[in-house]
Parts: sequence; structure tokens; C-alpha cells
Amino acid sequence: MKRYNFRPSFPADLRIYMLLAKDAQKACENYLAPTQQLQAGSTSAQTGGSRLIGAHMPTSGGLYRSLTLGAEIGCNVVQLFTCSPRQWNHPELKADDVQAFLHARDDTGIDFTVAHDSYLINLAAPSEEILEKSRRAFLMELKRANTLQIKWLVTHMGAHLDQGEDEALARLAQSLRQILEETDKLGYTVGIALETTAGQGTGLGWRFEQLGRILRDVGDHPRLGVCLDTCHVFVAGYDLRSRERYDASIAHFDSTVGIDKLKVLHLNDAKKGLGSRVDRHEHIGFGEIGMEPFGFIVTDPRLMHVPAIVETPDSDTMHEVNVRRLRHMSEGGGPYAEVTVSLFGHYSELSKGEPVTLKLPCCTTLKDALVELGALNDELKNIGDHCRFAVNDEFCELTAQLVDGCAVAVIPPVSGG
Amino acid sequence: MAFIIICSDVLDTRQIESSVSTHANGAVCTFVGQIRNHSRGKDVEYIEYQAHVALAEKELNRLAVEAETRWPVTVAISHRLGRVNVGEASVVVSVGSPHRSEAFAACQYCIDTLKVTVPIWKREVGPDGAIWIEGDESVRAGTD
Repeated sequence: MKRYNFRPSFPADLRIYMLLAKDAQKACENYLAPTQQLQAGSTSAQTGGSRLIGAHMPTSGGLYRSLTLGAEIGCNVVQLFTCSPRQWNHPELKADDVQAFLHARDDTGIDFTVAHDSYLINLAAPSEEILEKSRRAFLMELKRANTLQIKWLVTHMGAHLDQGEDEALARLAQSLRQILEETDKLGYTVGIALETTAGQGTGLGWRFEQLGRILRDVGDHPRLGVCLDTCHVFVAGYDLRSRERYDASIAHFDSTVGIDKLKVLHLNDAKKGLGSRVDRHEHIGFGEIGMEPFGFIVTDPRLMHVPAIVETPDSDTMHEVNVRRLRHMSEGGGPYAEVTVSLFGHYSELSKGEPVTLKLPCCTTLKDALVELGALNDELKNIGDHCRFAVNDEFCELTAQLVDGCAVAVIPPVSGG
Repeated sequence: MAFIIICSDVLDTRQIESSVSTHANGAVCTFVGQIRNHSRGKDVEYIEYQAHVALAEKELNRLAVEAETRWPVTVAISHRLGRVNVGEASVVVSVGSPHRSEAFAACQYCIDTLKVTVPIWKREVGPDGAIWIEGDESVRAGTD
């Protein structure tokens, strides 16, 4: 598919053709680029009823902002911190804030909300003092979440701090029993979801067996479940990168923890490799896990009811893209977008005048495609600085979304005439 | 009603002019850009033009419509692609108008705008090799 010609070879009757201005203008008006169609299709109103996919949203400006911002970027589930995750003491929720949150919930239709607890809490702490402080703080977390009618509070399983894993797991089980009992009495509805961890340092919960043991020790409880984080389990050593390995890892989870206990999914790609035990989240499809496994998860009939939440970097710009990427796959879309890139001017010599095909994660931006191009050839590394770009014969910004089959053109400064 | 032509044939200036030369027009102003035998201190044998054809059509059309909105004129623009030898025309802008001042103004506007916005590139070929021209920059081309 040559879109331009050094030595054109148009069919004779097409050699000279005329465009009547009005017709052409009308054609332009009627022309709706795939990017625009995609944006039109991603409003929250049109995602109602489909699989729960969302993101951890910021709360600056008020807790309710997590919901309104989430709705704007296509979330139908939202996770939030109900207070600063790096402080011990927090004031009680204000009635106005609770009202604003519940109103925003009704306005946006985002009924399913998840909270994440403070990073300081260690319900397995060997020090009595820290353990007590953690239990009190965790009870406050649950109180806030319950008041906000949040469904699950996600927490890490704490760390044993070199004081013995067995004892730490026993202390954690004791903490959870106590907390569940206390909050049962208060009639709380919010549940506790223990999150799989990456296995950094002395953190607990990176082996499925540890989670399974806690669930058995605490005893079956409807308000106790598990949150599976794809980045964490992958760097902890559970491979997901083929249908067989994904199925094997999920089967292992089912036999040790139980799929029925899975209440929340954190969908993050991993910057570090399998078994590295280093927790660094990456954009969906751009890390070590890659696109396909996320497709397996969001279309897995066993997990359809489990809300999926991204906690990827650059939340203000990239959450929207990652959510869209997951939703696209959950609706049966392919994991990749094959894009052809036509190079013009002296760049056209790099590809001998032929378009270059790039296989990119679906719902990728033009900016991401340029990074991939730069990786192919050093000369293409900084083309964003001085070239313009077109997608499907329309000039566009670097933020433009690329869909499968679209045609990108790299337009250096021109010299016609 | 603008006329836009992108083709690889020799440009027929008379034919292009005739498309804007109606009886209501007292003026037809035509600019012909042709290939010089030198550029940037070097001899030129011919120029090869490359275009993003679909986008170039749209841009030419856009600027022609702009001119027709600004002045009471009719615009025809044709640009040649592929190899164009010294002395041959690479671009023709022809503007018809009831009076000459608008025709001059619109013609200048069209050719000036074309040179900075329309996705067409030239590769100048001479005895010293080939050079791509990109805006104010020139880039040495590989051999073909």
C-alpha cells in the first residue's frame, strides 16, 4: 500500500482528477476518524452494564473527585485512598464529604467502589505497639470505608520483619479475626481484601499458600476475600504469559486460595521480570507481562464479576488509556493494533519508500508509536520535535489514539512548489 | 469552486488557466513555479517531488477555499509529482477575478501558503548527488 509516489503510476483515467471544493469539504465533514469514534464510544454512559473496569483515582479536591474524574475517563469502578496513605492519624470524615461522595456515586452510576488502606499498617507486626496502632488504624480505615458504602478495603498482609513468618501469619490471622468480629458487631458491610504482594523484603502474601493459610486460620467469612495484583503475582514468580501458564497460575490460585475468594483484581503490567520480587507497575502491555494475559483475564468467564482496577503510573494522562485498553479487550477487541507508518522526505529512504508496520498494544497513542519507531532506527528517535503527524489522512496531535489498521504519516517540514 | 490537480504529467498552464477564465472575470493571474538549474550554489539536473497525496489534496483544497472566502476569486492549483526537469513547471497557481488586485493577492497567498503547509517534498538531483529539502533545511540523500 504505497500512499505516495516518487514515480507515480496512477491508472490513466486517474492521472488528472479534479476535486470540487464543496464536495470535498462535505466529504471532510462526514469523515469521522476512528480516533473520534473511539472517544465517542468511551463515555461512562455507554459503559454501564459491562465488565467492571476502573482505576485508582486521586482524591485531591475531595473524596468525591475520585468518582467524577473516574467517570470522565470511562471507569465504572473506582479505587481510592480515604485518607493519606502515609500518615497514622486522621480526622473523622466530615458529613459534607460523605454526602458529596454518595451524591457523586449516584450521579456517575459508579456503585462499586474499593478503598486501599494506609501503607503504614502492619497487621502482622512483631512489636505490640505497632500491632495495636495498626489494628486501631485499620479499624478507622474500615469505619471510613463503611460510612462511604465502599464494598472492599484492600490491604497488604504486612511484613514479618525477620521475626519469623509463621508467627507473623498467626498474628495477622489473630488481627483479622478480632477486627472482623468487632466490625460484625457494628453491622459493617465493607469487606477486607488481602492483596497478593510482590515479595519485597519481608512482606507477607507473595505466595498463594500464605493467603490460603490466612483464610483457613481466620475461618470462612463473607467479609474476607482476596485481591490479586497481576504485577505482584508475576514478579513473585507466577507466570501469566501464555494461555497455558495463565491457566496453570489461576488453577494454582484456585487450589490454594479459591477463586470464589477473589474479590478485587489489580491489573498492572510489571517493569521487572518474572520472579524478580521487585514491585514496579507499568502501563498495560508495555511491561514484562505484555498484552495477551490482560486479555485472558478480562475475558475469563470465572472472573467476570470481579472488578478490575489499574494502578499504573502517570494517572492523570494514562489511566484513561489503560482503562480503555482493558475495556477494548473485555469487549472482544484484539490485544494489538497493527499500524502502518509512512515516512516522508529524507526519512522515506530509511524504509525504501515503503510503509513500516508496527505491532502496538491496542488503544495506543501516537506518542507511544513514536517511541517504538525510535527503537527501530536512531534517525527516527527525535522526529516528534520537528515533524507533524497524520492519522488516516488527518493531521493530529501526539495524544491521538491509534486503532488497528490505521495509517500514520510522518510529515517533516515541507518543500513543495 | 476551486480546482485541485496533483499529477505526474507535464502541467498544461493554458488548460489550468482556462478553468478560472470565465466571462465574469476581467483578470487571470497565474504563477508558474519551474525548475532552476541551480540551488544553494550547486547545479541541479532535475527535481523529484514526493507527496502524501491524500493529505496534500486536502491541504491544497483547504487553502484554495480559504482564498476564495477571503477574496472574490476562483482558484486552480496543480502540482506535479515525480521527476521534473530543469525548465519544466512543478506548480501552477491560477486565479481568476473580476479585477486584478484581488487576483494578485490571492495568487500570492496561495503559493506562499502552499510552500509551508502542503505535504510535498523535493529531492534535488545534480552532478554532486541528491539533496532532500525540508523547510529551511537540506539533508543529503542516499543514492537510489
